[in-house]
Amino acid sequence: MTTTGALNLLVCLRAPPPQVEGDALGRADALALAHAFALAGDRHTVTALLGGISVEEGPLRVALAAGADRAVRVAADDLTGADFHTIGQVLAIAIRRIGGDLVLTGVRSDDEGLGAAPAAIARHLGAPFIPCVEQIALAPGETRAVEVVTRGGGRLRRLRAKLPAVLSVAAGPAASATRRKRAGDAPAIEVIPLSDPESTVVRRRTELLGRLEPASRGVETVTSAAALVAALDRR
Amino acid sequence: MDRPAPGRHDERFETRRPRRFLPNLLVPIDLRDGEPTPPSLFALAEGRRVAHVAGVTVYAIAMSDRDLDGAVVAQLGRAGADKVLLCEGAALGAPPLDATHGPALLAAVERISPLLVLFPAGGAGLALGPTLAARLGAAFAGLADIEVATSGPLPEGVGRVYLRRWRAGRSAYRRLDPVEIERPVVAILGAGVLDRPVGGEGIDVEVIACAPPKESPVTELASEPDPAAQVPTSRVLVIVDPSLGAEARSRLAADAPEGVAVVDREAAAAAIAASAPEIVIVVGDADLPSLGTPRGRVGAILLGDATTPPARGIDVLWRVPATLAGEALWSEIAGALTAVASRRSP
Repeated sequence: MTTTGALNLLVCLRAPPPQVEGDALGRADALALAHAFALAGDRHTVTALLGGISVEEGPLRVALAAGADRAVRVAADDLTGADFHTIGQVLAIAIRRIGGDLVLTGVRSDDEGLGAAPAAIARHLGAPFIPCVEQIALAPGETRAVEVVTRGGGRLRRLRAKLPAVLSVAAGPAASATRRKRAGDAPAIEVIPLSDPESTVVRRRTELLGRLEPASRGVETVTSAAALVAALDRR
Repeated sequence: MDRPAPGRHDERFETRRPRRFLPNLLVPIDLRDGEPTPPSLFALAEGRRVAHVAGVTVYAIAMSDRDLDGAVVAQLGRAGADKVLLCEGAALGAPPLDATHGPALLAAVERISPLLVLFPAGGAGLALGPTLAARLGAAFAGLADIEVATSGPLPEGVGRVYLRRWRAGRSAYRRLDPVEIERPVVAILGAGVLDRPVGGEGIDVEVIACAPPKESPVTELASEPDPAAQVPTSRVLVIVDPSLGAEARSRLAADAPEGVAVVDREAAAAAIAASAPEIVIVVGDADLPSLGTPRGRVGAILLGDATTPPARGIDVLWRVPATLAGEALWSEIAGALTAVASRRSP
């Protein structure tokens, strides 16, 4: 947090899959960014963070164009081949250096679609983790807490979380939301090298040690709702 | 899990193995109003199914602020648990969060050193699974099926457990064998219903007294029943394109049988994200959410241009001209949904 009480809201973005051309933001990441913009208003800072190589900076450019104050890339050449433990550790190191108060991510933000990287970030930051958040607001009367709405155990709950905290976002404001117009050009993307001697990242490939198998299932075409249900419920 | 002989847990064998590789399978049980959810019983039954071949002991872990009812213990036994670990503590009666329940779960897990932790669908898995995996250094499989391999260099009748999950985009399966990757695997299973008893009622309960965290960084301000509570635990999830209008969703939901949830894709986005259905049916377009397991089945009722290619991962497809969208079509689909096999827990 800055001396003026302003918070730094960090949004972790995923590098786009190789087949995506041009600058694009994943749907889940766009939702997290929209939450950050809604929370920040004109008072707080929004920083977009991504781990990857320079050709994967597209989401950071999109975030800057939409109104993010800063965009930071952790220079890592093979995060697409790393497991969620490593991704969490890398991003947590960067967040410590940047000084984030609230970390927002998409509900499934890593390339394997697990939704586990936010938990790993929280573990390395020593911060609480709340998944599948739908609403976020700054806690009234407090500068170091947020109130969130989430579901679990058959209940719809409003929770207060002290900052720093890590939240994954499952729903919320329109994902296309943008922030106020910035005066002047967008700032340049900052780069944090992993070669920082203060940082030690243990690279692991826990998930990738698992074998990959082709998903070779054909599509069965039917001509009625009854046939569709019967084909799906076949045991 | 490479066992010299098939069968149940063997204490003599356990003492010869490194503690990290104890052949234990844990199922954290989701309790709603004191009762285990259907996916919890299904997860136990899945554990029991592989236990016979792979020789693992199945533990049910319950977290509660009070003692477990004897009928619930018997229910867990019938579903396949060998033993029950009850983490009992003041804050553990609330819906699970890592800040309140994580330490209690870790205490239980450290006591029995599991090779596999299987969270049931629609429960604590999203809140506790990734953080548990992060603490254990385990692999995590978001939505997975559990299978047994019986081929390869194994004695007859012996199998090895592995998990299968989709990669993002449903481009391929990932197969995780905890012995092969030399670390435990934490997974969330797909939804299902146990339709017959697979175990006995006479099982032991071990109680772990859990003190609440001294100062939790997360506190509850308010709580109310979730109107979409049945969505994450549903075996069949019908996702309706919001552009079809509220009438379409209402009509489809009107006669939906037990275990079938019908939701608006946008309005129920959070509940959908927490779901792990066995069968998914998308109605209206092919904007397929990333959910379900490889064993699950995905159907699509696409309205509009017949040349639109279906999304990857669809198993059964019915194309309908857009002009037919209306009451007659919704009635036909609703009628078909009533035929979804009804399965109840014993």
